[in-house]
Amino acid sequence: MERYARGDEAAFAELYDAIAPRLLGFLRKATRDASAAEDLMQQTLLHMHRARGSFIPGAPVLPWAFAIARRLLTDQARRRRVERRLFSEAPADSDRMTYEPMATTAAADDLVHALSLGRRLQERIEALPELQRTAYQLLQQEGLSLKKAAEALGTSVTAVKLRAHRAYVALRAVLREAREPS
Amino acid sequence: MSRELRARVLAAAAAEPSPTRAAIRRRNLLMATVAAASGIGAFVIFAMLMSESHLLRLGGEVAPQQHLERPVWLVVATAAGAIAVAATAVWLALGRGRSMLGRSRRWLLYGGVLIPVSLLVWKVSCSLAFGDAMVAWPERPGERCLALSLLVALGPLLSFLAIRRHTPVQPALNGAALGFAAGACAWVAVDLWCPVAYVPHVLLGHVLPLFVLAGAGALLGRARLSLRHP
Repeated sequence: MERYARGDEAAFAELYDAIAPRLLGFLRKATRDASAAEDLMQQTLLHMHRARGSFIPGAPVLPWAFAIARRLLTDQARRRRVERRLFSEAPADSDRMTYEPMATTAAADDLVHALSLGRRLQERIEALPELQRTAYQLLQQEGLSLKKAAEALGTSVTAVKLRAHRAYVALRAVLREAREPS
Repeated sequence: MSRELRARVLAAAAAEPSPTRAAIRRRNLLMATVAAASGIGAFVIFAMLMSESHLLRLGGEVAPQQHLERPVWLVVATAAGAIAVAATAVWLALGRGRSMLGRSRRWLLYGGVLIPVSLLVWKVSCSLAFGDAMVAWPERPGERCLALSLLVALGPLLSFLAIRRHTPVQPALNGAALGFAAGACAWVAVDLWCPVAYVPHVLLGHVLPLFVLAGAGALLGRARLSLRHP
């Protein structure tokens, strides 16, 4: 980014390769719509392109990129009046279940149980309030540190910890329910 | 991730020229010059139009002004403190530290509290050593200082917003900080012009505009600094 800010046009391709996959992953999880995610990622990178001249030497790029992506995502959702659908409802498409733990070794019952648990966890994640879900995604799915996640969300480390803690509590409740014999 | 998407994004970026760091520096310098020129220009015009002789010439409705000569040391001390606070306010509002996301919410909130308090306390404490400045001036409740503050701060506020351009987080809070910074700069100019340190006058004519400008900055910040999906 530093080279790009100084005017090295070729550096944008390297910037793209470095951050686009993570941005796209984040946006796909948030929108559950591949084309919307690609559009938002393109807009995020274009915004970074427009703002390259104001880049602070040595500033972390990833929290900035995530903050832009999150803001554009929120704005798009607000403008289309589908925020509730985007953030709260759980669509029935099954492609969100992208992992199958123990699929190769578990017995059929275990596999069914794991799939069911995974689906319930995913539904619970999607039903979390947006702030909690984003904190959880940035920390657990994108692997950002608390400090970088706090920067991306424009809040304090303590607030991110609290949001993530609330998300963990909600997810633990799902796991506890699953452990209880029916 | 598809190559087609990559090619599309790179082509879109190539098709849209964006200013480099050197161009942004030049633009910010121009904006800072505009801010200073507009503030000083507004101050000079207002001070000329609102001078005592001019008001008296207009028709005699204005009560005869008390004449108060402030000692030079008082003017210098008050102005120096105000300049220091204004410089801090501008640094806080326009600077972004080492992050592209700007100051944290905590810093901006502290600034919103400490800037008006510091300016008020400094002016009053400097003037306490000069008894006459604390005398009530019924004919100068502060509305002229209020108008002058807003007029002088308008240009700097718009210039600061242009310099900041966009912020992906807390646009309203960042806009409010810019309002406080513009108001603090205006405070310096108004303070040079106005000898009154009577606290109700200072609250109405000098402190209130800071909050008006912060409110205007918050509204403008939400509208102008916030990122929008095209």
